Amino acid sequence: MSVPAVLECHDLGCRYGETVAVEGLELSVGQGELFALLGPNGAGKSTSLHMFTTMTRPTSGSAKVAGFDVATQAAQVRACIGVVFQEPALDERLTASENLEIHAVLYGLGAAQTRQAIAQALEWSDLAGVAKRPLRTFSGGMKRRLELARSLMHTPKLLFLDEPTLGLDPQGRIHLWERVQGLRNGGLTVFMTTHYLQEAEACDRVGIMDRGKLIALDTPAALKQQVLGSERGSLEEVFIQLTGRQLRDEEAKPRDRMLSFAKRGGEYTK
Amino acid sequence: MTLPSTSLPARPALEIAVVRVFWRREMLRYLRDRSQVFGAFSRTILWLVILGFGLGASFRDIEGYTYAQYILPGVVTLNILFAALQVAISLVWDREVGILREVLVSPAPVFSVALGKLLGGATIAVLQGTVPLLFAPLIGVSLTPASLLLAWLVMALMGLAVTGFGVFLASRMATFEGFGSISNGVIQPLYFLSGSIFPLKGIIGGVGFLEIPDHIRDELNRLGINAIGGGWVVQLPWWLQTLVYLNPITYFLDVLRGVTLHFQQLPPALSLAVVAILPVFTTALATYSMVRMRRR
Repeated sequence: MSVPAVLECHDLGCRYGETVAVEGLELSVGQGELFALLGPNGAGKSTSLHMFTTMTRPTSGSAKVAGFDVATQAAQVRACIGVVFQEPALDERLTASENLEIHAVLYGLGAAQTRQAIAQALEWSDLAGVAKRPLRTFSGGMKRRLELARSLMHTPKLLFLDEPTLGLDPQGRIHLWERVQGLRNGGLTVFMTTHYLQEAEACDRVGIMDRGKLIALDTPAALKQQVLGSERGSLEEVFIQLTGRQLRDEEAKPRDRMLSFAKRGGEYTK
Repeated sequence: MTLPSTSLPARPALEIAVVRVFWRREMLRYLRDRSQVFGAFSRTILWLVILGFGLGASFRDIEGYTYAQYILPGVVTLNILFAALQVAISLVWDREVGILREVLVSPAPVFSVALGKLLGGATIAVLQGTVPLLFAPLIGVSLTPASLLLAWLVMALMGLAVTGFGVFLASRMATFEGFGSISNGVIQPLYFLSGSIFPLKGIIGGVGFLEIPDHIRDELNRLGINAIGGGWVVQLPWWLQTLVYLNPITYFLDVLRGVTLHFQQLPPALSLAVVAILPVFTTALATYSMVRMRRR
């Protein structure tokens, strides 16, 4: 590949005690690429994403993001990535602009730069009119748009999106997806995980993980050709062919338990 | 082919802008949540006014102080415990479904974020703890500007210590499904076992005291005679005393009672030592627990 790699990993692995979450991951994502990582629940997508975003330390192998090692140069990695998590990482009692201001301070933007970045983010996310409203009054789609705009404020080299359209209505999903594609067209490298295979169809390349291993990696068209023997058909067929039909039930994690608690009536400590 | 690495200037662990923005965040959250201020007033009215005057009617003096006067620093402490622990425990939300993940993937120093949170907890503790002090004139306690300033200092240190302890606790909690367990399991034991509502030992004014006119009693208090004839000398059972001595809040409360009422039950040097050292220790523990969250 002639374009420089923005993300590279060799034999990357992570285990928690006896459990192997990710094993022997070999991957390279080029500059300007829109890359999607797919896989059933518990396949190791999130753990991989956490290793790339310096949230989890790899237990074997190595990974470089924008040329920096995730294990030994975490601070540099953090400075040049943008991350949008599955669940909003916002303070819901603060307003949109207050949340954006926190981001600017975290990334060390200067005062003038901060003002400009906040105005730009609000405009880009179509939220300028509600900038002074607390986020608890925002819909899921509005929060996701705000987070996407926020993750761009410090002009990252690589954007990580963890299930960016999860939980959005079809309108919100289409809208957000258009923005993600717009970013790709603007030259930004985007690494995302998703369950929506239609979205993956529009990516430059997709990787499919199962049980901690990367079992397929290519363009959507090439994967269809390899697995189904023709370019007709869908990625969903490829996915099911490779990962089987068995249900992957997972136990509710603390996060899920707290979210369902919040939905039952919540608590002021949120 | 890989992108060339460019070095970035390393950021110091203490960044005032980061501390300030997270302190401000706690303040904004507090100011927008009327239920917290309501809680401060309702606790004051229930404990200080209703319990204070109610129990005070049957239980005249503790070492010459009315019951309401005696529990005033205790009610301040109760408000501080609630305020500081609410700030601290919200860390579980921040970590699982809130803004802390945004912090962890950013290049900012978590130490500064933690410090902002702790200072926010301490500030809110002082504000919430001041609510019972507004009722001081009602129960016959007059605070001079100097004693109020000293009280605020002790309250801020107590708020810092409790927020720090709470952050450490929150960092070890996997999930949060209600403040009830904190309220019943942490706040109430710390409150009841701090000498807040009953003395460790002392003379409880009894029969003869009722007939003494106020001006004579004031005169006797000034002479250091806090109770005369007919009072009961009370002392807690040894096991209860042990628990009270083991509770660090006891010492903060003792100093607070010293500066607001000029009455202390414990060796002043011991209390002052705890008040000075514990906040430093819990701040270190809390910032360490938060910095460690970066890589789980």
